Formats: sequence, C-alpha cells, structure tokens
Amino acid sequence: MRILLAEDDLLLGDGLKAGLQQFGFQVDWVRDGEAAERELRGQPYAAAVLDLGLPRKDGLDTLAAVRRARVTTPVLVLTARDAIPDRIRGLDTGADDYVIKPVDLHELAARLRALVRRAHGQPQEILSVQDVVLDPASRVVRKAGLPVALSTREFDLLHALLLNAGHVLTREQLEQHIYSWGQEVESNAVEVHVHNLRRKLGSGLIQTVRGVGYILLREATQ
Amino acid sequence: MTRRLPRSLQGRLVLLVLSAVLGVWLAAAALTWRDVNHELEELLDGHLAQAAALLVVQQAQELQDDDQTIDAPPLHHYAPRVAFQVFHEGQLVLRSANAPEAPMSSPGKSGRFATVNIDGNDWRVFATYGAERDVQVYVGEHMRSRMSILWAVLRSTMWPMALALPLLALAVWWSVFRGVSPLRRLGRTLASRRPDALDAVKVDAAPSEMQPVMDALNVLFGRIGVLLESERRFTADAAHELRTPIAAIRAQAQVALGETDDLMRRLALQNTLQGCDRAAHLVEQLLTLSRMEADAAPSMTELDLAALAKRTAASVAPAALARNQTLELHAPDPVRVRGNEALLTVLVRNLVDNAVRYSPPSARIRVALSVEGGSAILDVEDSGPGMSDGDIKRLGDRFFRALGSDESGSGLGWSIIRRIAAVHGFELQVARSSALGGLLVRVASPQS
Repeated sequence: MRILLAEDDLLLGDGLKAGLQQFGFQVDWVRDGEAAERELRGQPYAAAVLDLGLPRKDGLDTLAAVRRARVTTPVLVLTARDAIPDRIRGLDTGADDYVIKPVDLHELAARLRALVRRAHGQPQEILSVQDVVLDPASRVVRKAGLPVALSTREFDLLHALLLNAGHVLTREQLEQHIYSWGQEVESNAVEVHVHNLRRKLGSGLIQTVRGVGYILLREATQ
Repeated sequence: MTRRLPRSLQGRLVLLVLSAVLGVWLAAAALTWRDVNHELEELLDGHLAQAAALLVVQQAQELQDDDQTIDAPPLHHYAPRVAFQVFHEGQLVLRSANAPEAPMSSPGKSGRFATVNIDGNDWRVFATYGAERDVQVYVGEHMRSRMSILWAVLRSTMWPMALALPLLALAVWWSVFRGVSPLRRLGRTLASRRPDALDAVKVDAAPSEMQPVMDALNVLFGRIGVLLESERRFTADAAHELRTPIAAIRAQAQVALGETDDLMRRLALQNTLQGCDRAAHLVEQLLTLSRMEADAAPSMTELDLAALAKRTAASVAPAALARNQTLELHAPDPVRVRGNEALLTVLVRNLVDNAVRYSPPSARIRVALSVEGGSAILDVEDSGPGMSDGDIKRLGDRFFRALGSDESGSGLGWSIIRRIAAVHGFELQVARSSALGGLLVRVASPQS
C-alpha cells in the first residue's frame, strides 16, 4: 500500500517512514504543505498521513485544497494540536482520522489500514475472494487455508486488486500502488508480478482486460 | 488630622459636612449674641435713663421739702428686678422696696452708667442729678434679667437649629450614602468578577470622578490579559513543541525494535539518541525563556563584550570544527557595554550556534565587534543559505523554523535572542551578509 507522509520534522518523518515501511507500506515523504497538495492531487495514494504545522502551506489549508479538488484519498491527521476545537476543525475540513503525537507505530499502521479498508467499502480487515484470503495486518495470504509465500510487490499488487475487486486497474495504477518514489520500475514489472500471482494462486483469479489492465472478479469465471 | 478621619468615605463626608454645619451654626450664634447684646444694652440703658429723668423731674416738682423716706410699693412681680433711689441734698427721699439705703452707685458725674455689685448681685445703675445738683437719682436694673433676655433671644433662634441638627445629620448621611453608591457598585462589580475575567469593568451611571479609576483599572486588566494570553499561548506552544521530538523518539525507537537488519537498527537507535538530545535542548531553551520572563529586570554591570564574545566563540568552536566550518572573530579592542553577563553569553552563543547549525559544512562564520558612533556593534554573519525576506519577517515568531534547514532546531533560539536584546535595549537587525553571502545578524547597543 502506497501512502503519502507529510511531515516537516526530519527525525520524526524519518522514523515514521522507516516504521511504516516495516509494516509493509510504501511511503512517499514530503516536508511541506505545497508538496503534499501537489502529490495528493497527482497520485492515487491509498492514504495520507498529514502533519498540521507544515511550512509553506498549513496542513489544514492543504487538506481543504485537496478536498476542494475532489481528492478522496483517506487522510489521517497526525498533529500536536490536541484541543477539541482543533480536532473538530480537522475532521470537518476533511480528515478521516485525527491522531495526536506521539503515536504508536502499530496503532498508526492499523488506523491507516482501517482507513484504506473503509475507503474501499470493505467492512472487514481481512479481504477474501474465492478461496484466497489476505490479512493486511499480518501480511499473510492463504489459498484454501494454506499459506502462500508472496514477495512484497506480489502482496501489494494482490492487496490493491482485492481492495478494488470488481474494478479494472490499469498497469499505471498498479505501478503507482506498489512502487514509491525513487524505486526503479521495470517496464514489464506488473506483468511479471501478475504472472507469479497466477502461478501461486491459480489462473482463474486475475483476469486481463486487454489493452486496459487487470481485474479481480469476486466470483470465479466458468 | 487626616489620620483621625474615619476610613470610610461615607464617614468622612458625613463628619466633614456636619462639622462645617456645626461651625457655621456656632458662628451664627456668636454673631447673634453680640448683636442682641448690643441692641439690648442700648434699649434697656435708654429705659433706665428715661426712668431716671422722670424721677428727677418728679422730685423737682413734688418733693421739695419732704425729709422722710418713701418706700414705693412693688407693683408687678417684675418690680424686684428694677430699683431706684432718689436723694435730696444727700438725704434718701424715695426708693423702691428692693433698693438699699446707700447710693447704689458711687457719686460722680451725672448721666453715668455703671455696673456695680450690691449684696452679691450685679446691677446696672444709672446715676443722674437734678439741674441744681441737689437731687440725685439712681436707677438700677438687675443684670441677671438682661442676661435672661439675651439667653431667651438666643434660645429662640438656636433651639430650632439644635433640634434640626440630628435630622440634618440623618439627611447628610443619606445623601452621602446615595452619593457614594457608584463606588459601592464598583466594589460589588469587582468583587463578583470571576478571577480570570479580564473584560472591561462597567458601572452603570458612573460619575465622572470615577472614570479615571475605571479607565486605569481597565487598562490594567487589558495589560494583564495580553500577558496571560502570551503566557497561555507560550505554555500551549511549548507543550506542542515537545510532542514532536517525543513522537520522533518514539517512532525511531519502535523502528529500532522492529528492524531486523543490524545496521538499520543501529541507525534508528542513533536517531533515537539524537531525538533525546533535541528534546533536552528544547527543554533547556524553554527553561531559559521562562527564567528570563520571570526576571524582568536582571542585574546589569559594565562588561567587555569583546572578551565575552571571545569566550563564547571558543565554546562553540568545536561544533564548527566538527562541521569543517571556519569560525573567525574580529575583536581588536575591548567593547564596553552595560548588560547582564549570563544573558549576553546566552545571546552570543545562540547567535553563533545558529550560524554554525544553519550553515553547510565548510561554511565561513564571522563574528565581529566594533564601536560606531558610541554604539557597540556585534555582527554575526555566515556564508550559509541565508533567509528569504518572508522568513526574516517571521523570524522570532516562537517556534518558527525556516524551511529547508535539515538542522533540527526548536525555533526557540530566536525568541531567546530577541528577548535578551529587548531586556538590554539592544537593537536587532537581520539582513543578507554582503561579505559572506549568508545571513547577517547585527546587535547594536544604545548610543552612550
């Protein structure tokens, strides 16, 4: 899952990025409000962690601008401002969650997963289609009850397809889901990962929509 | 005098007004006494003289040859108060019943008034002689009767006043009570305010004399409000600013816990330590600021700013060397200023420390001291990236940090620098360094 982290404090930003990466997130880190707005408007992030005291553009202004631009990416506000009016203003401006610093990394990761799940209309943490079950928290995938070993990229790709089950995802969208900035994307990376997933989970799961992208159907095709 | 007056305004006013009334009343009584006394004397003396004249005339006509003494009968119960004697050729020929046999007054010039004491009573006596000086007439009047008339007149004018005095006192008390009611209202208003209420005091229909007091109070409340607000904001800001370093420490520690790669774990642990140092530094700065705010007027002495800058630069030099930066000091002559040594040390260290922190490795940092037009000048400039005009404007906002600096400052250094400069009356200027291209901070003492 690729998320945007907007935090101007170097040490905290570094810690959050490294910590969230341990939980399997792909993290893009920006350090000011303008960059955060630009990235959120330009990329389909699964979620964003937004500090409010950002330079160049305040976090709330950034959030308001992003929501005005009809960007629906779930946003978790992570801030030192704990007054009730601040929280209310944050949520009313368009935040999906409001967390006070300091935060436990496990909790932050769980909240982010919950935000992503809800944004995709999934009531439960554990995603499943046919006999394939994916647990985002423990990053375990099972087919017919047996664990299947997947690489990080394969897991992220399957996670993205499961979250958007029934919808076509283009190759570019999938690339954006599984790669953060600075990571080399090979031209046929998505095809390779899909091929591997089909090999490990069966060919009936992921369908190719020729010239468009891939889709994961809720019910197996005949 | 003032010390003896009652403490309450009401008591003071009542006492003063009543004293004034009493004074005027007594003065009026004294004047009345003097006037009535004078008029009464004229009138009664006139009567005495007239009675004597009648007796002289009567004696001359009727009692030419009688040698016996006739005692005139008392006719009215007032009669004992007046007495008369008629002597003919030295013989008492006629007298009132209450008159003695001896002449009431010593013989002397005719037409004389005298006050004499006869048997323990004061008498006003008029003596006169007939034309041939053989008839002597004395007419006397009891002095006490005069006094009683005088007292009667005085009583009749003073009694109503004396009766009115308690009523007047009540009226004065009530009027004063009404008059000072705005003061009592102000007192009640102030007493019933919540301790944290700092809005302007309002008293309905406050008299103009109270306006200066209320204005002064409201100005005071305003000042306290501003002070409290800045205090409150500072505390809130400070608490918030501590959250970020703590969040960073926590995140880095959790990263270290979750890291399997040894090198990465050590990196995270180093970051954790760095976060602790930063939090400690922030706490140190907060304490410096709060200490300074508690001590508004630190003790000032004459000191050599050049020597102080040299010592401080020496203490920061290791940090500059570690970053491969050049730190130079130009202070050829002593620079005398008046200031607090501890605070000025903090000021200089913060300035030089900022220059070291926010300039890249191998940058040049120059500290120069000079005297221009009687004003001591401390320049700290660097070859770092400098600041945009907008950032220079925001510099000194508490916790403001310029964007793009990788150094983890709290933004409190500038608050401290500004505060110390203000305490000393020093002027603070921030500009682009023309010599080194980075930031130039100039501290100038007032001209001596």
